[in-house]
Amino acid sequence: MALQDICDFQDIFLDRGTSSLPFGKKTGFNYMRGLPFSNSTSLFNFYIPVAEYLDKSPLEFGQISPIQSASTPLSQDVTLPSLSLPENPLLSSPQPVSLPFPISHGTTTLAFIFQGGVLAAADTRSSCAGYVEGPAAQKILPIHSHMVSTTSGTSADCALWKRILSRELRLYQLRHGRRLSTSGAAKLLSHMLHPFKGTELCVAAIMCGWDGGEVHGHLDDTGGTKTDPGGCTETTKEIDKSVDPSLEKTQSSFSSVGGQQPLAREKRNGSGPCMFYVCSDGTRLQGNLFSVGSGSPYAISVLDQGVKWELTLDEATSIAREAVYRATHRDAYSGNHVDIYHISSKGWIRRSREDLKEEYYREKERRERGMRQIVTLSEENMKQTKMA
Amino acid sequence: MALLDVSGFSRYSELRGQILPAGRTHPVDRTNHYSFGTKTPEFALPLGVDPSAFLKSCNQEAGVSIDLNHGTTTLAFKFQHGVIVAVDSRASAGRYLASNDVNKVIEINPYLLGTMSGSAADCQYWERLLAKECRLYRLRNKNRISVAAASKLLSNMMLGYRGMGLSMGSMICGWDKEGPGLYYVDDNGTRLSASMFSTGCGNMYAYGIIDSGYREDMTVEEAYELGRRGITHATHRDAYSGGVVNMYHMREDGWIKVCKEDVSELIHRYRKGMF
Repeated sequence: MALQDICDFQDIFLDRGTSSLPFGKKTGFNYMRGLPFSNSTSLFNFYIPVAEYLDKSPLEFGQISPIQSASTPLSQDVTLPSLSLPENPLLSSPQPVSLPFPISHGTTTLAFIFQGGVLAAADTRSSCAGYVEGPAAQKILPIHSHMVSTTSGTSADCALWKRILSRELRLYQLRHGRRLSTSGAAKLLSHMLHPFKGTELCVAAIMCGWDGGEVHGHLDDTGGTKTDPGGCTETTKEIDKSVDPSLEKTQSSFSSVGGQQPLAREKRNGSGPCMFYVCSDGTRLQGNLFSVGSGSPYAISVLDQGVKWELTLDEATSIAREAVYRATHRDAYSGNHVDIYHISSKGWIRRSREDLKEEYYREKERRERGMRQIVTLSEENMKQTKMA
Repeated sequence: MALLDVSGFSRYSELRGQILPAGRTHPVDRTNHYSFGTKTPEFALPLGVDPSAFLKSCNQEAGVSIDLNHGTTTLAFKFQHGVIVAVDSRASAGRYLASNDVNKVIEINPYLLGTMSGSAADCQYWERLLAKECRLYRLRNKNRISVAAASKLLSNMMLGYRGMGLSMGSMICGWDKEGPGLYYVDDNGTRLSASMFSTGCGNMYAYGIIDSGYREDMTVEEAYELGRRGITHATHRDAYSGGVVNMYHMREDGWIKVCKEDVSELIHRYRKGMF
């Protein structure tokens, strides 16, 4: 579809009269024309289901059926989309579409910035009102090579909006020759979600990305001295000598801690790690540490305790894993496995999925060892007192 | 029964009838905090009043909205050297901070401690009542009450008023013949024994910390540090917790008060890296 827009290909099925190209030619998107919903549906060609198909539906959705009764079946009629509707279907049924089952939003996702970039972690349990519906869900979705988004909320909504966002970002990249910054991507997502404010759409995402650099992967135009994202693979580097890639453009060599800490976190020339929290109620916040979901309070205190700028990648990974593990330990809606992604100047890297069961057993083992020590100590004490 | 008659032995029930005025079957010093002389054990409630329904109506948007405040964080855990109890000290009334220096631990006796979370009035009243009962037990039986029994007394009191809008989440900690004891008692009548609890609206944040740092074989200093950190991080993230950390250590020979440290200083100490 991107190619289609670029080469100005007119979709023969679309009604040209209302200039219904999904994306206006001049601007990247054109969401706020006229009625709040009509554009979004026309843009994305949401086919509104036809009444006949839903006659025997066991799920009384309250579908927007009356208007469609005259329309032809779904498969052929691609001209049907909203454009030819007499009125906005959603306006005619003012109540939100009732859900067939209660959707719950149980998850634990977290992300933080450190000297090596951004680390994002999430559990993998997807639940539906008390059932564990999927033990292996993917909650961290890559948007493009240098950005991932952790998602929380309704998984269907998150998956859809993530795809839409990826498409938009790719278009931007093709049109302007550079990647959109994380801040811009977050703003874009926030504006896309705005028309749905007040409905039951629920998306709470943390956009984690590495800004800066040209398209086609040529990130570092400073002579490439600091392409290494500060400790990504060389974890043996001492913490004081960790290089902060975000300063590479202004300082040729930078290695110090202490007084430089506050500066180290600012981005020079708009390059470096960046993180935004975007929520479907309109929140858009920049920050260094976020945790979202039902298990987030348990995780966030562990992160508060351990996250520092100077962490190495291994330390950061183990803190993230520990935080998700603690949350899954206490929260019923989080569990199964943990996914960890690391975003650096080279792009995102995904660690293989780890089963938290292993973590549980390791900890149990540690505790048992501790208990055994206590028991043997007390036995020794008893022996001594007996002998004395 | 012939011997009984001959020896002039009179049964206790007969004696009781002589001691107590007619009609009263409960001796005064029994568990009868239901004063005012009513026959059936009840608080003096006006007839027809339903406290729980009244409270429900206050919580909805129907006119006055009285939000009962449950802002606090308390935690307690057992380890090899006893029980550590740590609480914050903030009392909030809605959005207003009533006090930043409340003592949320009640010292029942030198071997028993109770923590308070939920409605401050309920906690203070019922735990003082529990203290009275424990003292009476000691006087009658010449032995200190066990932690299990004390917590059971409290939980029975709660059950007596179940559904009437009490709000109390308390941990009873002590050291008795069985060793260190820790029970969680709730206004629903829940009574649970485990080696680690945290209550209040900041409890989730505290759980993250103490879960990750807890080991049965900690040293005393490590345990103090864990308790301090748990409360500090919870107060950092929860708006309704704050003030100071009051920490007690329950040992075999009684409890000691370990520290009373301001959380603002503690958080700066712990999070140097992020500030």
